[in-house]
Amino acid sequence: MTLLSLRNLSKTFKTPAGLVHAVRDVSLDVVESECLAIVGESGSGKTTLANMILGNLAPTEGAITLAGAPLGPQRSPSERRAIQLVQQNPLSALNPKRTIGASVRLGLDTYQIGPRANRWHLVEDALEAVGLPREMRHRAPSALSGGQRQRVGIARALSVAPRLLVLDEPTSALDVLVQARVLRLLNDLRETRGLTYLFITHDLAVVRNVAARIAVFQSGRLVEEGPTEAIFSAPKTDYTRALIAAVPVVDAAELALRNSIGGGS
Amino acid sequence: MSLLDIQGLKLSFRDLRGLTEVLHGISLRVSAGERVALVGESGSGKSVTARIVLGLLQETQKALISGEVVFDGQDVNRMAPQARAALRGVDISMIFQDPTSSLNPTFTIERQFVEVLRRRENKLSRKDCDAKAMQMLAATSIADPARVLASYPFQLSGGMNQRVMIAMALANRPKLLLADEPGTALDVTVQAQTLALMRRLVADHDAAVLLISHNLGVVREFADRVYVIYRGRIVEDGPTQALFADPRHAYTRALMAAVPRITGEGIPDVPEISSDFLAPQVSHGGDQ
Repeated sequence: MTLLSLRNLSKTFKTPAGLVHAVRDVSLDVVESECLAIVGESGSGKTTLANMILGNLAPTEGAITLAGAPLGPQRSPSERRAIQLVQQNPLSALNPKRTIGASVRLGLDTYQIGPRANRWHLVEDALEAVGLPREMRHRAPSALSGGQRQRVGIARALSVAPRLLVLDEPTSALDVLVQARVLRLLNDLRETRGLTYLFITHDLAVVRNVAARIAVFQSGRLVEEGPTEAIFSAPKTDYTRALIAAVPVVDAAELALRNSIGGGS
Repeated sequence: MSLLDIQGLKLSFRDLRGLTEVLHGISLRVSAGERVALVGESGSGKSVTARIVLGLLQETQKALISGEVVFDGQDVNRMAPQARAALRGVDISMIFQDPTSSLNPTFTIERQFVEVLRRRENKLSRKDCDAKAMQMLAATSIADPARVLASYPFQLSGGMNQRVMIAMALANRPKLLLADEPGTALDVTVQAQTLALMRRLVADHDAAVLLISHNLGVVREFADRVYVIYRGRIVEDGPTQALFADPRHAYTRALMAAVPRITGEGIPDVPEISSDFLAPQVSHGGDQ
């Protein structure tokens, strides 16, 4: 079933240098419980698209619907609660002056989730669900490692039980071992809770292993969309081929695949 | 003889709790013109190693350094601070991870180039500086070097600033280039171009490179030889081909296993941190 539907979505910015078409006529469906990857370089419109979906930016044209209900730019609390964001940089995403627990609790208070007296308990549950100790709620973000902070970001987003999670480069600031653990956590959470992910990234190797479907963006346009397997075995556009060819690889099988697709680099 | 020869390098930081040992006696060598990578996670000690080679950590009271860091026949640890400063930007230069924030936003590229070039030749005329800068920018495949020279860093894209950084770093024909995660803040296509460009330019300029990275893919594409560092210890080293074909140390194997593959092997399993990660160094040889 379609959870999120984008129809002819466009966003144009007026700048002193003229009009900038950040997103142009994008139509895309996100199916319930899937992980859809949004792929493209900086300036391709990925983040603008995410901001429109999150309600931070009003589309210039087009419509967004969530489970059949239209979403306007002015969102009710329950509409905002339904779509949550996990940001790229877990350090700047957390208020350094709040404890971890206070940051996670903010969403519960905002959306009035559960009785007030029970909310610290819900905060601890949320931390536990992402593999952090319950006591960690008393600590400051500065006392945590990058991987732990990103887990807090995930806990905070999931604590309000959203229908859709927008993940904006959630692991690109992390070391490879930490990245693997966070990707595994995200995958387990999606499978056990039936969550739906919109996974924004430019790392095609990550995409290959987490997403069943890919949408490729270039200069604000959706240039290619399809099942991950199909796109990796036969990319239709030169741009997608170039993205795959640019991935640094570590083993011979990858090198062979990359050479067969992109001609290598 | 090696261009850079680090032997038994130890580093501790003094803090309120006493001493924290960060490097436990590492040894590594870089020959003239060689591309060597130091790969490890954040906190493993790779960036502080670069800062010691550059002579920056020696200036702080909090850092206790022992061991030898011989660059071009001289021990950087025993040099006078002025002598160390004279090496920086001349015989040893550095490229940082985020090019835009490492350039000064209040000066044009031209002005920053002049400053760099005058480190080697302090009497160089503005005209000669500009000519040299134009030539270096053109060598990095910048189509319109005059426009770039007149621009401020914030008027240029990240990829363009990265090229400017590389051009500046190589302008004084350094013998050694330290590259700390070059391009990881950039798009994957720009990163690939950056690496290809660095590869070509360091060959043209006979510079050796010490590449600091946590990305094994980048290391495999770029380096002739690799050192793997874990918690302040070198755990494995060898020629890139040999090390990637047959990683023998438990930590290197864990790092390799954690890299997502574009062939789609699924989300990698991550081995738990084990005491095997602290096993003795494995060397594949190849150290000239």
